[in-house]
Amino acid sequence: MAASELRLCRPARTRSVAPIRRALRAFLEALAFDGAALDDITTAAGEALANAAEHAYAQETTRRRRDVELLARFDRGELSVEISDGGRFIERSPLPGRGFGLRIICAIAHQIQIETSHGTRVRMLFPGPPVKS
Amino acid sequence: MNEGAIQTIRLAGELDLSRKREIRDAFALSNGARAVLLDLSEVVYADSTALTELLRFCAMAQGANIPIAILIAAPQFLRLVQYAGLATAFKVFQERDEALRYLSECAGT
Repeated sequence: MAASELRLCRPARTRSVAPIRRALRAFLEALAFDGAALDDITTAAGEALANAAEHAYAQETTRRRRDVELLARFDRGELSVEISDGGRFIERSPLPGRGFGLRIICAIAHQIQIETSHGTRVRMLFPGPPVKS
Repeated sequence: MNEGAIQTIRLAGELDLSRKREIRDAFALSNGARAVLLDLSEVVYADSTALTELLRFCAMAQGANIPIAILIAAPQFLRLVQYAGLATAFKVFQERDEALRYLSECAGT
């Protein structure tokens, strides 16, 4: 299968999260992801998107553009999903009742990389869908 | 327990960050409730926002000695609870009858 890619950039607002998440789900369905894998990848991406929308620019005082970007790429049997923003990475407090987003992502993704040098980029790797005969 | 003593709270659709305020407002104890059935069986997607609000509400109910049963049907939501490490924090049921039976047992009737 040739490489497939989905790239979306939207304002980092809470109401942007669901449309991006649904677009990712449609992209995954077109790649034959289904069942638990489809749900789980969507869930992990949804958590990273929500974190960006809620926290990335929470302490911004400038008028610069505040976006969140999703880049999903399927190539040679592996899926990568990157969520990036230009703001600060804040993992929610580990107090009881808070801080589940990263825990959920780590439980689902096979690998996760978080870069915080220029904004925040969360990169998650997943295996491809099983090949159906 | 008489079903009339059970407060039922229903939410449906996608429970995510964009509905945080609505979820928090819905998760409130009514006067006279002796038990609560959180009917989330028509929720098709949930994120950690929903879990955080569930934990907040359950802690509030526990403080008032009011049992809560949570009805969840969507596999995504059920797995979310597991991934967050909250499998033992909530009383989750997939069948309404089982949830009501649990609440009745809590009331000792």
